[in-house]
Amino acid sequence: MPRRVSRLHFILFQLNIAMAESIEETSFFAGYEDETELENTEELIREAQQSEAEEPSDSPAPSRQSSEPLFLPESDEEDESGDVSMIVDKVSERSKTVADSEDVIEILESKPRSQPGTDKRARSLSKVTSVSRKASPSDPVVMEPMVQRPAKKPRLSLEYTEELSDSPFESAFLGAFIVGNAWCTVKGKGYIKPGDEICIERDEPFTPTPARAEAKKVNGKKGTKTKGGKKQISIATMFKPPPTKFVKKKQEAIVRITNRGGFEFGRLPLDVATWVSRLLDLDIVDFRGSTMIDCPPTLHSGAEVIVSLSVHLKAAAFMRHTISSSQQPRHMFNEGQETEAEQNLRQRKAALTHLFEVLDLHPIARGSISRSVRGLNKEDLALLTKDDRKFQKSAKGTKTEIVGDGEEIEVEADVEELSENQLNLIYRKAQQNDTTMVERDPAETFSLTLRGYQKQALNWMYDMEASTDSVRKEQAMHPLWKEYAFPADPNIGVIDLTDERPFYFNEYSGELSLEFPVAERKFKGGILADQMGMGKTIMLSALIQTARTPEEPPADQGTSKRRQLRLDNKFRIANLHTPVKGPSATLIVAPTSLLSQWAEELQRSSQPGTLKTLVWHGQNRLDLESAVQQENGVDVVITSYGTLVSEHARSERMPSPVFEIEWLRIILDEAHSAKNRQSKTAKAVYALQARRRWAVTGTPIVNRLEDLFSLLRFLRFTPWSDYTFFRSFVTLPFLGRDPKAIEVVQVILETVLLRREKNMLDSDGKPIVALPAKEVTIENLEFSPLERKIYDSLYSSAKETFESWRVKGLASKNYTSILAMLMRLRRAVLHPSLVVSGADGGHTKLSTKNGAVDIDAMIQQFAQGDKSPNLSSAFVEDVLANLNAEENAECPICLDVMQYPMVIPGCLHQCCKDCITAFLSNLADKGEQGRCPSCSYSPVQEADLLEVMRKKQTTSDEQASTLTFTLRRNDFRSSTKLDALVQNLRRLRDQDPCFRAVVFSQFTSFLDLIQMILEREGLAWYRFDGTMDVKKRNDAVSSFKVTSREPKIMIISLKAGGVGLNLTNANHVFMMDCWWNSAIENQAIDRVHRIGQEKTVYVKHFIISETIEGRVLEIQKRKTAIVKEAFGGKGDSDSMENLKIMFGDAR
Amino acid sequence: MSLPKETERLVADPAPGISAAPHEDNLRYFDVTIQGPDGSPFQNGIFRLELFLPEEYPMAPPKVRFLTKIYHPNIDKLGRICLDILKDKWSPALQIRTVLLSIQALLSAPNPDDPLATDVAKHYKENEQDAQRVSREWTEKYAV
Repeated sequence: MPRRVSRLHFILFQLNIAMAESIEETSFFAGYEDETELENTEELIREAQQSEAEEPSDSPAPSRQSSEPLFLPESDEEDESGDVSMIVDKVSERSKTVADSEDVIEILESKPRSQPGTDKRARSLSKVTSVSRKASPSDPVVMEPMVQRPAKKPRLSLEYTEELSDSPFESAFLGAFIVGNAWCTVKGKGYIKPGDEICIERDEPFTPTPARAEAKKVNGKKGTKTKGGKKQISIATMFKPPPTKFVKKKQEAIVRITNRGGFEFGRLPLDVATWVSRLLDLDIVDFRGSTMIDCPPTLHSGAEVIVSLSVHLKAAAFMRHTISSSQQPRHMFNEGQETEAEQNLRQRKAALTHLFEVLDLHPIARGSISRSVRGLNKEDLALLTKDDRKFQKSAKGTKTEIVGDGEEIEVEADVEELSENQLNLIYRKAQQNDTTMVERDPAETFSLTLRGYQKQALNWMYDMEASTDSVRKEQAMHPLWKEYAFPADPNIGVIDLTDERPFYFNEYSGELSLEFPVAERKFKGGILADQMGMGKTIMLSALIQTARTPEEPPADQGTSKRRQLRLDNKFRIANLHTPVKGPSATLIVAPTSLLSQWAEELQRSSQPGTLKTLVWHGQNRLDLESAVQQENGVDVVITSYGTLVSEHARSERMPSPVFEIEWLRIILDEAHSAKNRQSKTAKAVYALQARRRWAVTGTPIVNRLEDLFSLLRFLRFTPWSDYTFFRSFVTLPFLGRDPKAIEVVQVILETVLLRREKNMLDSDGKPIVALPAKEVTIENLEFSPLERKIYDSLYSSAKETFESWRVKGLASKNYTSILAMLMRLRRAVLHPSLVVSGADGGHTKLSTKNGAVDIDAMIQQFAQGDKSPNLSSAFVEDVLANLNAEENAECPICLDVMQYPMVIPGCLHQCCKDCITAFLSNLADKGEQGRCPSCSYSPVQEADLLEVMRKKQTTSDEQASTLTFTLRRNDFRSSTKLDALVQNLRRLRDQDPCFRAVVFSQFTSFLDLIQMILEREGLAWYRFDGTMDVKKRNDAVSSFKVTSREPKIMIISLKAGGVGLNLTNANHVFMMDCWWNSAIENQAIDRVHRIGQEKTVYVKHFIISETIEGRVLEIQKRKTAIVKEAFGGKGDSDSMENLKIMFGDAR
Repeated sequence: MSLPKETERLVADPAPGISAAPHEDNLRYFDVTIQGPDGSPFQNGIFRLELFLPEEYPMAPPKVRFLTKIYHPNIDKLGRICLDILKDKWSPALQIRTVLLSIQALLSAPNPDDPLATDVAKHYKENEQDAQRVSREWTEKYAV
């Protein structure tokens, strides 16, 4: 290859000259540039020389003579990073005309991919490539020279043409288009005539761009040992930090038309020139073979001429780049900002897109679909991108406002929210082939039976851990790419080897490639996103037991030296010398409420003694390292997000074992807990080290696409784990309502996510989960007159306030206050006392004018106090003896047998509860003192009455049941809803003496009342709410689950107990109030209605008719009700619409 | 509502000397007869009354009125009765039966100190024997 070598020397010679020039000029013009650039450039030269010295024949340092000027006149700040590389790369003579120059283009090939398909494709594209690959398979650099130009050519390139006459790719015809309004700049005859070939050329640079030799990093690392070429205009550039400053220059876009002699006679019109100039500057196209279509015989300045431009894509356009960003510098944390490099890239993209448009090129395949069918149809796309103002809001952050008397409302105003339909669409893609997946049986230690779909999940997870290849068969194209076909070149005589050869265009970055861009996955793990109640815990337990072989120990023993820093380990020297084994333990991170459930489930699903678990939480955190790393250490460590966060905060001062240990596997349960990438939780989670990572959540996307990012970041799913990347290709396009955003997400999910839903069918067409039926009934209740009075006054004053604000246009301003009013109304529906608890001052406004009722007084009247003295035990015994004597006594008022007799303490006369309270309130209405209906004993107050509790106790040995009585003061004022609940529970107890029920309310204060009334009923209750610590919660859940022959009732706050809990031992659910969003309610119901439930589940909603609750139901049904919350936005039109419903005319 | 049950008992197990039967078209409206208690000036008389149970019953007392003319200091010529349990001393534990028994007792023991028919009361106070004679005459005249 002597000729090559000589050419190489020539090139290097040129390069040196150019470098010297560029350095000079660069430093002259770029005031802010410093020696780094100089060094960089020098280093490049050095590298190039080395490469020549070392591998002169196999790997000639590619260089290129280009028609491009060294410095691009239009290079302004937006261009810098791109142009930098050109400076290095376009080492060229500064020839005056295009015609005189030659094009020598290199193609930098990276390592061949292992995928056969890709390889084949690549080979077919370039024989030279494959030849040189054979010669030196590890060498990533292949020179791909190309030449030609009808005009006079320098000697070198001529030789080249001959030598590589069979060589494939130099440039490929892409199409031709006509510019009808090019114009002349000269006057006279003979310059050009129709049919002549013309040349298109860019101006000589006159404002050299400040060079920023950023090429170095990428080049150096990849060992291309060359000037890098266009590679810098790749994704790499997007991660460069923005420059400290830059100078804005006017962009120049003159494109000249010359004749074969190089004489300029005209220019392209501005609209075409703007993008053509860019393409030319980037040196990715040429216009050889363009012809003049029509021009006047005599030219004059400004005359319109029609030219046909034939576009050829140069090989330079296909510079290989990496999809992965793993080798990117780590300084891209100025998240959310668009760098200038990104802008530059976008301009290239825009120019190319424009070109494709003009040429009428259409993709033959898109990346998002595994090269098969398209997943979305038009309507779907329309849905996804519909012009919904919600997406445009830019308010940020979550604000928790304290409303009314202490209940918190989360007022979250978010950038983009996804509707349920949109979410379904996104998931649909990932679910396409799931029914046909292979099943895998769990390890023998697994003691439960898995269902079919669970075995499928096990196999999927096993494979996802075993190899980094996608388990789903087909190779997915990288989501950002589209496949195009080269059109046939009509010009005969030009080598055309391009037929049947596809090329790929990235519409987002403007990159072009000849290789099939594969969506790659380099991590082990994924997202298990089955709907709740599918048994995710069990599946993961099966995975832990099935794939438990420890991995290879880390190559470096770095962990042990750090370990010595810990004081307490000094005393465990023995441990230090145990051979370091590979990571074998699994770390499970879960919400605190679920820790013990995890531990229990893991034990339940494994043979005794085969799976050692450790709950690492709370005060007594054991020495984790020794527990995990010693022989026969624990297999599973369960910890909470909270613990992780505090450990992470502490780890700055002192290494924390949980972050020191390299885990075999991390499982994030309810992984959406870390959905906010900036939260402490998320940061702690990112810091964990592991070989395999799993994110487990039923809602991988809670309401924003960015929720997904955090999971991908945790999984280290490059390149999506880079925020800038994710933002550029998902978030921003989505905000711009670009359907591609959804496609991208779909492909991401297809590679990493498994999601099945309860209603999915298996391959036999049967539902994959067979759950017992769920019967939902709504019980409509009527207020008692007093409650109605209280509610109505509250309602009308709230409505009045709202209307007055609305008329003045202040409604959205007072949004929070309105929400507070609504909250009060919703409580008033539950129990009037809930409205006055806590002197928040909010109700002062409500006292009305023109002599209307004083609400507070009424409520006071409603909740009469409990100030009466204690009862002496002798007295109680007396009464009880009396009661025992007369069983089935008759109420003197209604003459019925008293179910729940009330005793008047003064005279021991009895009445049934309803009668006596009615009588007493009747007397009170007339202003008379309360008295005994039987003996007129006076005074009698309602709160003094004693209620007799009869409890049936069945002793086990004898069938006979004895009655016991207890007395209880009637100091508790019930409400319609509470009464309804109690009645239902009584009925249940009659039907099933050991029933289990779950009662949900969103107000903890109402839970207090429920608790009281259950206490009075003598029903065993267990409480679960957000204020309780983990231990208490666990105790509550586990004692609720203990089998006994007594009825048990669990009362849960909707917010605290909505997720994760497994309460399948109950089959009755009572919803005391309704939430804006029925999804939240369903989630709560699914605590009971989930796998493991064997009985029919009965759900009862209590709704008081003609109250705000009906409106809430209405909002639940509204289509526009977004996934999260009807009042999520701060006073946007949708929320206002909902408010109008709340205060509509009908009551 | 305890009304049917009370009516049932009233009809099935009437108190001696008292009968009460609801109207067929209005179960709140009763035809009542009370025998004059022995040893009283109203002995041997059968007095007809009407009894009406208001909506609020048993929280409010029943309304009772003599249809038969009677010479009694606590019953006026319109038949209205002055009896505390029919007014402020009413209790829901008192039933129709109790009310009627109380009225019967009132016939035995007129209370001229708390009169409704003032002239009759005056007569009873000034000359009880003569007043009782008039009562007997009225009984024979109207209630036999």
